[in-house]
Amino acid sequence: MKKEKIVMAVTIGISAFILVAIIFMQFKVVEKTDRISIDAMTESDLRSELISWREKYDELQLQYQDTLVKIQEYKEEYKSDEETEKLLENELTELKTLLGETNVHGQGIIITINEGNLQNDKINYEDLLYIVNELKAAGAEAISINDNRVINRTGIYTIGTESGFIKIDGKRILAPYIIKAIGNQTYLEGALLGNGGYVDELRKWGFEIQIERNDDVKIDAYSNSLSNKYMK
Amino acid sequence: MEKKIQLLIIFVLMSMGLTYGICVQMKTVSKNGTTVNLTSTQSKLKDEILRISEKYDNLFAELEEVEKQLEVERQNSTSNNSNLATLEENIKQRNLALGLTEVTGTGVKIILNDSNITTATNPFINVSDLLVHDGDLMNVVNELFNAGAEAVSINGQRVISTTAIECDGNVIKVNGTKIGAPFEINAIGYPELLSGGLSRQGGTLELLEARGLSINLSKQNSIKIPKYAGAIKFNYATNIENY
Repeated sequence: MKKEKIVMAVTIGISAFILVAIIFMQFKVVEKTDRISIDAMTESDLRSELISWREKYDELQLQYQDTLVKIQEYKEEYKSDEETEKLLENELTELKTLLGETNVHGQGIIITINEGNLQNDKINYEDLLYIVNELKAAGAEAISINDNRVINRTGIYTIGTESGFIKIDGKRILAPYIIKAIGNQTYLEGALLGNGGYVDELRKWGFEIQIERNDDVKIDAYSNSLSNKYMK
Repeated sequence: MEKKIQLLIIFVLMSMGLTYGICVQMKTVSKNGTTVNLTSTQSKLKDEILRISEKYDNLFAELEEVEKQLEVERQNSTSNNSNLATLEENIKQRNLALGLTEVTGTGVKIILNDSNITTATNPFINVSDLLVHDGDLMNVVNELFNAGAEAVSINGQRVISTTAIECDGNVIKVNGTKIGAPFEINAIGYPELLSGGLSRQGGTLELLEARGLSINLSKQNSIKIPKYAGAIKFNYATNIENY
């Protein structure tokens, strides 16, 4: 009699334990999906999210393979200093290209903004900031404004207020503003036009803007010197 | 008899606990509403996204490992030649500048949050003014670069050359990753210049403050900014030789 009772108590205890464990697992799953905030997405949103994850993953994979190859190259024995120098130079050029320290070319678009005869409205730094941001969102790899290369730490500002002029990385620029971008032409153009596109917005205000597709856009290197004084 | 009562009490307590757990769980799920109503395609897609994002995280950790190895190899093969060591240092500095390594330095921290003013307390206010928008973040980041910032991050997302700040419904995307208020912007540079640039008269922070947004700016002796969580690759732009 007593034995039966103990068996029963143990059985119930175990099943209760399992239930609690399941509940906690469930909690965790809910939390995890929340974190990525994909709960409220429609099917097409989910699809594009998945595609962008796959693209990001593939890029990372390439980078990984690339790094492995480089390690192997440095490791090779009986390598002369000249050969090492070559490896280093190659790596340096690659990084300089990504930073904007080289002249580059490729397919892209050229945007020309004319202030025309507008009396009260002028382009200000914020307009250029928005356009640059949309170009970046569309995957632009190189951008310049009136032949000033936009790099990752470029700042744009307006000196004075109404009658002021725009400076980009300390260099004064004047209308007409010519913005060049290298990247997928369809994406770049698409980002600026249509739903919420900033070029459309500016056109509504009366600015004259042309967008030209060009298969060989040339963009000059960043001309200021780059140094890291504060970061390690 | 007494033992029976004891057992009974234990049972009752156990079932109460269980019921409570189940109820809490049900409430959590119904709060997320959509979780329950997902079609099978949607949940399949969701599973795939979760799986690939996990794979991505793993690969990223591996990449960090091999990048460290590469740095060691590079150092080893340049240690006894000053010419090569200079090249190696140039590579290091560019990796810092690109955002491909974690960096530390002096700088500022800005915490930006939506206003706590509501239309209930002020019916004439424009609701949109009370929220932090993509354009606000763009302006703050731009102002930091104007003041000579060398590295900037927003909620842990390093700002690199391809970083866009996009509005996506009621959230903001930086580097394609969704982030929400409060926004913590960290910047490395000369603290006096960075904070001076932001808080100057008629400057960015003054305009945000006028809208009732909550802003907290502080100078930092040592601030850490993470590396970009991805790879930077060009598919369209190539170098012009002999330009």
